[in-house]
Amino acid sequence: MGIEVKNLVKTFGERVILDNISFKVDDGKILSIVGFSGSGKSTVLKLISGLIEKDSGDIITTGGDVAMVFQYSALFDSLNVFDNISFALQERKDLRGKYTRKELEKIVAEKLELVGLSGIENKFPSELSGGMQKRVSFARAIVTEPKIILYDEPTAGLDPISSTLIEDYIVRLKNETHAASIVVTHQMSTIRRTADSVLMLYNGHAVFEGSPDELCREETPYTRQFVEAAIDGPMKMK
Amino acid sequence: MKVYYKATYTYKILRILWNTTESLISTLGIIVMHGIEFLKGLKTKPTTFKELMFQCYRFGVTSLPITLSIVGMTSIIVAMQVAGQMVKQGAGNYVGMMVAILMVREEAAIMAGFALISMIGSSMASELATMKVTEQIDAMKVLKVNPVHYLFTPRIIAGTLMMPVVVIISSLIGIAGGAVASNLVSGLTFKAYFDSVWFGLHMHDLKVCIMKSFAFGFVITLISCSWGMQARDGAKGVGRATTKAVVWSFVAIVIVDLIFAAACFY
Repeated sequence: MGIEVKNLVKTFGERVILDNISFKVDDGKILSIVGFSGSGKSTVLKLISGLIEKDSGDIITTGGDVAMVFQYSALFDSLNVFDNISFALQERKDLRGKYTRKELEKIVAEKLELVGLSGIENKFPSELSGGMQKRVSFARAIVTEPKIILYDEPTAGLDPISSTLIEDYIVRLKNETHAASIVVTHQMSTIRRTADSVLMLYNGHAVFEGSPDELCREETPYTRQFVEAAIDGPMKMK
Repeated sequence: MKVYYKATYTYKILRILWNTTESLISTLGIIVMHGIEFLKGLKTKPTTFKELMFQCYRFGVTSLPITLSIVGMTSIIVAMQVAGQMVKQGAGNYVGMMVAILMVREEAAIMAGFALISMIGSSMASELATMKVTEQIDAMKVLKVNPVHYLFTPRIIAGTLMMPVVVIISSLIGIAGGAVASNLVSGLTFKAYFDSVWFGLHMHDLKVCIMKSFAFGFVITLISCSWGMQARDGAKGVGRATTKAVVWSFVAIVIVDLIFAAACFY
């Protein structure tokens, strides 16, 4: 089943961030959430990951871990790559002491290989490029074999080639883990290359839901404005 | 019309007072909650020996040169100011006692506390604040690792254990500094000075000094970590959290000091 969100509502003070949002992502599928800055995209991820509390509505998951890849990687800068990736296995209450050093090394090496970065265990985040940091954060996210993976603007701040590489890894991780994934993004290339379905948010409301092809074909004012990156249209930048 | 303006100003003043009180109570509440969470976490062995040793080194060793300089110079200044006069008045035999009581009861702990807040407390606050604004703490939460247990525990334990060590060494340096200064300024012999120290100092003073140091170490690290954890809004927020941590720690140790003075010496 993956993840199902029903009638999700979130307000900050008097400002309504999400107003009755519903969607469903099956295992092994990727949903892209798109929309202007401040439309509530990242809030959806924070609610699903439990970083903030919802006001009302339901978030139903298949169980298992929820992993999140943050916009600027959020690697622990005082720890090397090995400790970053194995952090949950070393420090989580229910996993602490479960793995020997040898097992941890094997798991970390496997995850690094999966993101194409073998042999960098001893490097610190400051020694890595933005794209490499992002891939290390992918490896950290999947170390506990999560059932749901959330990506918050995974290609933000990266050059086009690094972005393409990251998009390929998102698809690869989906195929390897069969997790339900949600990708928050602004970029059409990320949507085209990764998404099975798309949800567009504006002012806390869902204004489009469909496939990437439908997003490009759909002739509603919202989708037209987004696809053509037009300033004029029903969506106003604040 | 006149009444209307008066009411507006009164309202504004009351509003400011109310907001200040509200924010004070809410911050205190957050710090207490973090303290409780830290205590709860102690059951689960949330830190490694290596991390604890690193924090002890950071708190107790790296801070020592500055702390000793400050406390040592304070005692020298005090001795220089009073030793000459006291010897002239025939009270030379009390110089050592006065410096020792001042050091052990007050100066060493409070001056070391100020030095440690400025050096270590501020660095802890900015470290955690940076982690907060760069989403590292959120990442920790998503990985299901309690950030209060993981980050606070080694720091608070190290601060609480190392503070008495720093204060005792500082007191000894302070007393020794007073002896040298008294000898140079007024020709008071070392024997007379240290006889006076032994005569004036009691075990009770030392016990209170150690207990107070434990409390200072706990309060400084808890407040610094707690403010760091409350940071938001980027670089500006890191600066704000660090400043708040320093100011709150200063005020807190003075209040703790007052409580100890009232409870243990009156």
